[in-house]
Amino acid sequence: MANGEILSGFLAPHPPHLVYAENPPQNEPRSEGGWEQLRWAYEKVRESIDELKPDVLMVHSPHWMTQLGHHVLGVRHLSGKSVDPIFPNLFRYTYDLEVDVDLAEACAEEANGMGLLSKVMRNPNFRVDYGTITTLHLARPQWDIPVVGFSANNSPYYLNTEEGLDEMDKLGRATRRALERTGRRAVLLASVTMSHLHYREEPELPEDMHFERPFNHDSYRWDMRMIDLMREGRMKEVFTLLPQFIDETFAEFKAGAFTWMFAAMDYPELAGELYGFGNVIGTGNAVMEWNLAKAGVSRINGNGHAATPARPDSHQPSAADDVAPANDWASAGPRVYGEGGPPAGGGR
Amino acid sequence: MSIVSAFLVHGSPLPYLRPDNPPWSRLAAGYRAAGRALVSSRPDTILIYSTQWVAVLDELWQARTALSGTHVDENWYEFGDLDYDIRIDQPVVEACVEGSKQLGISSKPVDYDQFPIDTGTIVANGYLNNRGSIPLVIAANNMYHSWDETYQIAAMAAQTADRLGRRVAVVGVGGLSGTIFRHDIDVREDGIASPSDDEWNKRMLTALERGDAQAARDMVPEYAESARVDMGFKHFAWIMGALDGRFHGARIHAYGAVYGSGAAVVEFRH
Repeated sequence: MANGEILSGFLAPHPPHLVYAENPPQNEPRSEGGWEQLRWAYEKVRESIDELKPDVLMVHSPHWMTQLGHHVLGVRHLSGKSVDPIFPNLFRYTYDLEVDVDLAEACAEEANGMGLLSKVMRNPNFRVDYGTITTLHLARPQWDIPVVGFSANNSPYYLNTEEGLDEMDKLGRATRRALERTGRRAVLLASVTMSHLHYREEPELPEDMHFERPFNHDSYRWDMRMIDLMREGRMKEVFTLLPQFIDETFAEFKAGAFTWMFAAMDYPELAGELYGFGNVIGTGNAVMEWNLAKAGVSRINGNGHAATPARPDSHQPSAADDVAPANDWASAGPRVYGEGGPPAGGGR
Repeated sequence: MSIVSAFLVHGSPLPYLRPDNPPWSRLAAGYRAAGRALVSSRPDTILIYSTQWVAVLDELWQARTALSGTHVDENWYEFGDLDYDIRIDQPVVEACVEGSKQLGISSKPVDYDQFPIDTGTIVANGYLNNRGSIPLVIAANNMYHSWDETYQIAAMAAQTADRLGRRVAVVGVGGLSGTIFRHDIDVREDGIASPSDDEWNKRMLTALERGDAQAARDMVPEYAESARVDMGFKHFAWIMGALDGRFHGARIHAYGAVYGSGAAVVEFRH
């Protein structure tokens, strides 16, 4: 049996604003810059990936939302233009990427073997979602490393947070098995924002940074509390608090990427390195790395324990498990709007 | 008001891409019948709102004169591609952007090459306007807009089109009950996911058929919650707003299931 490795995992959020601010040749709109702290943070990500030299970048994106199962890109070469349906003024990006189809197929097989429904996307005309593209550009703008892209099944919204994240846990463990089977050396990218309440109007100049601030004090405090725990490597506590964090800040972690990544890494109780934090239209975005190679726990062995598992034995029930937030726009569940309109916030 | 026809239709690509599948063939046939009815009403423009075009910051309006290309649905890509060729009624769109602002609703036109047109709009246009000869006014579903805001925007759009001399067809695109099968099924045996959902859908369709607009409106909150209705049934708010809250009856061209969820093709008499 081959021995794969998970070299590192990154919390790698995908605000298209960061690509817009960078002005790469692939993106049509031009900017005056902005969101520098987050873009400087991604410079550290790029340096780390340069050093790690992975065979593959694996990304889980909440903006490829699927209803029926967990999907994975399965066409060797995908290219086209990705236009963000929410921020088309900021993100119109021409992409050209190579997929590690063998690994993608192995992930789907392992996931199906674990009782999930997983499908391999083989339509060559498929347009890759902007979350995947944004995170990959920010992490590796050269586009010279094959990728595996996962959809976010809507189970955390359609079912409830706990059941949904249990599915993401299985998907992560399936990913780990697939890496072990194929012997790939992977870097994982969890393409998610932390607190996810946001302002509902965009400044005339989107990169005018004097408008940029946390949506509210509670969201900011939650983000800092969670980052602090992550920096200290207290990941068991992070996962214990996760449902409450999701419930109170509408954190995009609900979509599953963070749980997928940590399950794949076997929940190491390892300190993450914070490269930067910033707000984008009020949402909280942290760029962080858990470098398993540096910690000496990157190799996946036969039974696959890399470090002390951080996942709590049982999840604590939360209000989020019972009711999808009324202003959580990604939810595919029922939504009844009151006379006064929904509360501000929620998306992206 | 020059509303010449009004339709509530589903936006699933499945009957469109696989009309030969028995459970979906009735929906496809119903959609084709609605298309004939729409064309015979001789509209100058179609006001369309699809639950699948999701916005979060503003009320967005498609403003590009011509849109064509191939779209692949993010869920149902294995069933095939969706070609589209759409014309936009730009003067009405420009006026609707301004009209939204006058309602106090932040609004923007969208005019970008290869902007991702949603599956629901493409399917509805493909069936109802299959020659692509009638220009569209396409409004986004802002996730934060309430039933009342959606109603107001639709009313404003209908009045705006009327002021500009248009004969208008109004189309709300979205599903009924929202529970889907979460496992692979034999699509030849597709059906509504639960008897309860089926019962709720039929209650709503019966109210529409009777022309009991108030009863239908009153039923919406409980229906939406009990049957997980697509986006709180805001696509019905779009139709009600354009019709000024009144219709006299409806013809149910088709009712059926798409992977467990409820779908219908409804033509309103007003």
